[in-house]
Amino acid sequence: MFEFDFMRHAFMGAAVVSVLAGTVGWFLMLRRQAFAAHALSHIGFSGAAGAVWLGFPPLSGMVVFSLMAGFVIGAEREGERGIPAQRDSTIGLVLAASLGLGAWFLHMSNRGSSLATTLLFGDVLGIDMPTLKALCGVAVLCLGLLAFLGRRLLFASLAPEVARARGVPARLVSVVFMAVAALACAACAEVAGALLAFSLMIGPAATALKLGLGPLAGIALSVGLALALSWGGLMLSWVTDAPVPFWIGLGAALSYALADLWRRVRSR
Amino acid sequence: MADTEKVCCQPERGLVLRDVTLTAGSTCVLRDASLTVLLSGMTLLSGRNGAGKSTLLRAMLGLVPLQEGEILTHGLPPAQARQHIGYMPQSVTDAALLLPAVSHVRAAVDGLRWGLPLHLRPRREEADRLLALTGASAFAHRPLGLLSGGERQRVGLAQALAGNPDLLLLDEPLAALDHAGQEQTVRLLEDLTDRLGIGIVLTSHETEALSGVVTRVVQLADGGLHVRV
Repeated sequence: MFEFDFMRHAFMGAAVVSVLAGTVGWFLMLRRQAFAAHALSHIGFSGAAGAVWLGFPPLSGMVVFSLMAGFVIGAEREGERGIPAQRDSTIGLVLAASLGLGAWFLHMSNRGSSLATTLLFGDVLGIDMPTLKALCGVAVLCLGLLAFLGRRLLFASLAPEVARARGVPARLVSVVFMAVAALACAACAEVAGALLAFSLMIGPAATALKLGLGPLAGIALSVGLALALSWGGLMLSWVTDAPVPFWIGLGAALSYALADLWRRVRSR
Repeated sequence: MADTEKVCCQPERGLVLRDVTLTAGSTCVLRDASLTVLLSGMTLLSGRNGAGKSTLLRAMLGLVPLQEGEILTHGLPPAQARQHIGYMPQSVTDAALLLPAVSHVRAAVDGLRWGLPLHLRPRREEADRLLALTGASAFAHRPLGLLSGGERQRVGLAQALAGNPDLLLLDEPLAALDHAGQEQTVRLLEDLTDRLGIGIVLTSHETEALSGVVTRVVQLADGGLHVRV
């Protein structure tokens, strides 16, 4: 299967996105922001539809829309315990407004159903070299920002009130992290589609957290699992002709179920 | 003007409130209140439910803005004073309950730094030292969610001690503990003040468990503060 350019590009794109999804996803799950990951990838779908309507590459629209939504979600005022009191409401409303815009963009672009299918389910086999370079750029930027934020983000995620009391600028950290998450969601959506992008971010990270691993081991496992899911999905898709997102979604749920089973057996 | 009681004349080792007005929602916690009090040993901040004890602790850390006046802790305003203060909120943490307790303490040890840690060993050793200090070593590698209330308090105390503070602000450290748990926590706090010379300010309704242990009581009532030594 590696004799074809499109398969080599697909494996490289999947690798880049997996490293990003595994790392960002671990922090998203730690901060209980699975809904944000779900919403950001869907919001990216609307941006992609708008970009296509205006004649730009879909990835550019995904990045712009996800980033704007990330800033709005991350900038919400924090409550007394360091967690925004209306976080889910804010995310839900931003998502609803974006999906409305997305439907209008699809209507205006006159490419409704075929474009929607591509954006919602992804087209990993259609990744070309310019898209691959763009994905690499997004990944380097996101991982660089995460490395810079790292320790303060971890402290603010584990003990928000204590971190603020010690002088961690929790709101700034939250805004920058949501911007990183938005970019990562847009990149993942390019591979797995808007509907299943978050499965690559949430599944491996949730599995790593379920196993009770510390930050370094947890992130390493999360990245490894994301890689196994995306590459495994590509291989199984090649063999079975079933779509890649199908295998990624199924694998994510299965890995979490196995981790849960292992914990239960171990605790007996 | 609220009562003013001069208990010490060493503001660099104590708490100074000058004409402070502080509100929490529609509740007036302090109205034009002044106070100077030494913070060595253990200081109990008492008051009825909803009087604003937690709000006052948070104001000392700069987490809640004052309407008027100023608060100095060890002679410093909140933004500078919090470098020398450890804080344990009422609910220690309900985040990442599956992570080992030691990870929560390690995060607090170097959580003020930007970038990735280049040397992991010093951070691990410091976290282990703090967990040993609070008697939490035995369960340091168990998930936080599986620990009892008292065990979580010890992990929270280890977090609060990160950065070697001179002063600990503890919000209801005895709440939700049974009688034995309260006794253990009080003994631990006594031990911390004796061995490390750390001042402790705590809020609590469990005055019986603290009788004979606290150095002074600061009563928050009617928008003012009253000190009993």
